[in-house]
Amino acid sequence: MRLIARYAKDLGEAFEVVTVYDEMTETVRLGKDEPVIGTIATKHPTAIWFERKMRDDFGIRIDGAFDNRPLVHQERFPKDIHPMRKDFTETVVDFADYTPYKYEAIGGDGVFEMAVGPIHAGIIEPGHFHFSQAGEDILHQEVLHFYKYRAIEKMVEEMTLEEAKPIIERISGNESVAYQIAWRDITAQAAGIELPEPIKKRHALLLELERVIHHLTDLGFIPNDAGFGAALAFCSKLAEEARRKMAELTGHRFGFGAVTFETSPIDTEAMKKWLDYLENEIAWFTDWIIDIPSLWDRFDTTGRLLPQKALKYDCVGVVARASGIAVDRRLNPFYIDHGFKMATQTNGDVGARFKVRLEEVRNSIVMMRNFLDVEPVSVDLPTPNEGSYTAYAESSLGELFMAIDIKEGKIERFFVRDPSFVNWQALHLMMPGNIIADFPLINKSCDLSYAGNDL
Amino acid sequence: MIRFWEKRIKTGMVTEHPEFDVEMAEIRQQIKGEVKKKFAGSLAIRMVDSGSCNACEAECNALSNPYYDLERLGIHFVASPRHADVMLLSGVLTFNMYHHVMDAWEQIPEPKWIVTLGDCPAMQAPFQTTFAIKGPAAEHLPVAHHIPGCPPSPEQIIQGFLEFLRKI
Repeated sequence: MRLIARYAKDLGEAFEVVTVYDEMTETVRLGKDEPVIGTIATKHPTAIWFERKMRDDFGIRIDGAFDNRPLVHQERFPKDIHPMRKDFTETVVDFADYTPYKYEAIGGDGVFEMAVGPIHAGIIEPGHFHFSQAGEDILHQEVLHFYKYRAIEKMVEEMTLEEAKPIIERISGNESVAYQIAWRDITAQAAGIELPEPIKKRHALLLELERVIHHLTDLGFIPNDAGFGAALAFCSKLAEEARRKMAELTGHRFGFGAVTFETSPIDTEAMKKWLDYLENEIAWFTDWIIDIPSLWDRFDTTGRLLPQKALKYDCVGVVARASGIAVDRRLNPFYIDHGFKMATQTNGDVGARFKVRLEEVRNSIVMMRNFLDVEPVSVDLPTPNEGSYTAYAESSLGELFMAIDIKEGKIERFFVRDPSFVNWQALHLMMPGNIIADFPLINKSCDLSYAGNDL
Repeated sequence: MIRFWEKRIKTGMVTEHPEFDVEMAEIRQQIKGEVKKKFAGSLAIRMVDSGSCNACEAECNALSNPYYDLERLGIHFVASPRHADVMLLSGVLTFNMYHHVMDAWEQIPEPKWIVTLGDCPAMQAPFQTTFAIKGPAAEHLPVAHHIPGCPPSPEQIIQGFLEFLRKI
């Protein structure tokens, strides 16, 4: 069974812990006096972050946990505050005394620790990487995130779905359309309506375009991190053109506000022409890049994630598929009818992740052609019914899971698990056997989101 | 290799917005004396993300794609605050980033300026203030210029830099 998410809710008189697997969902109620729940991290290592977050957010003690350090609440966050509890209503928290975080580090003769971040040398999001090094060789790495923690889950409580939409689409800029699609599915479920095909097609078109933009950016940046700048010049040009297409289709370069319950007309001919052009450019790029041995010397066997590890860590998205784990939320009749083909590789290295992205761009072009013909429709939304709703979307990074509880027309609990939340926890597995200079390359080949992870 | 050069010649130059060059030349003319000496003809920017959605960063990265090619205007992003003239701050200022942002600001040698990028640092994006957000950046730092937008497009960012240069 694959672990998808584990999160808690404050029901007023009790807490509820929900554990979502791909095959089933488990719900456990806990008394509020001394809330304790057993860990599942011995079976599913990625439960660790979910459980540490639950402890920070709700003060739920995790029985049998071997990692009791705070996660979201960093060095200066007051220790006795659990902000996701309903009785916590403060909008200002003052800095507490600095309590050092105890990093996972390896000791020994000549072994040293190297701290990287939160502010990095490039134009990139903040996060901390803590390395244990033996010379150039990486022995271990710990990822410490949540610098961007904005408390989105708390922020949208008491809002209507409509009011929360502008916030939800800005959780992670690279995955905005995917977040909006998850929101759309929950909104439709709560309203008790079935989405008409043209709406699904339009949104699927935008989601594939978002994937193409993101993958093209990576297809440039990954070789650039291996010192091959020409690929960045080539791909960033294509990515810019794709982003302008997004602006043409939605009025916004990132598609903010693009997912609505009506379709708008598309200049099909112009779009087809552009897709043909892009297909040719990608074919040329593939031909060119595959043939550069010094580049593949850097890519191949670098940052390997073995299939059994990817499986054990419940990985998702490009990271999982590059390690031979066929997990993709698009594996359903709607997408298959429109030309979806799962892209997988088995090596699990930087090269494999690069090839999966390349293959997915090609497949997205095929699918986009099939999503083009959209008749005009508009759906009226009845007021949402109370209840708990969940939705999935396959963002450019992987499977996105969203859960919203609605009570009296307002959001009672909002939870979202970005694909990065799982994959970040598997990043350290790719490090041993590699040198520190390859870390940027490995990190970029996964291209995980910090904002979506931190919330 | 031949394939590459063939492609290179066929593609030609795609860089747009010659009006920026003209404007930049005008501004270079305008910026005289002290500031010109301080910048030595080029403006070094240290970008710090204090809690954005990554769209502002994506647009800053887009500034170096062949369509915009920002460096031709003498504006470039640097790796360390110690090499910078300007701190470009994006995202809402989070509780967890607060001290790191202050550290980075302290490390920039005088004279220095802060430019805020996008609606987030001014708390004008849809995000509400929570306990995890320390409010508008201008309440904690001497913001010299603000470039609005969610996110501002690469053209708007270049335009914003030009406005900033005119201002100081």
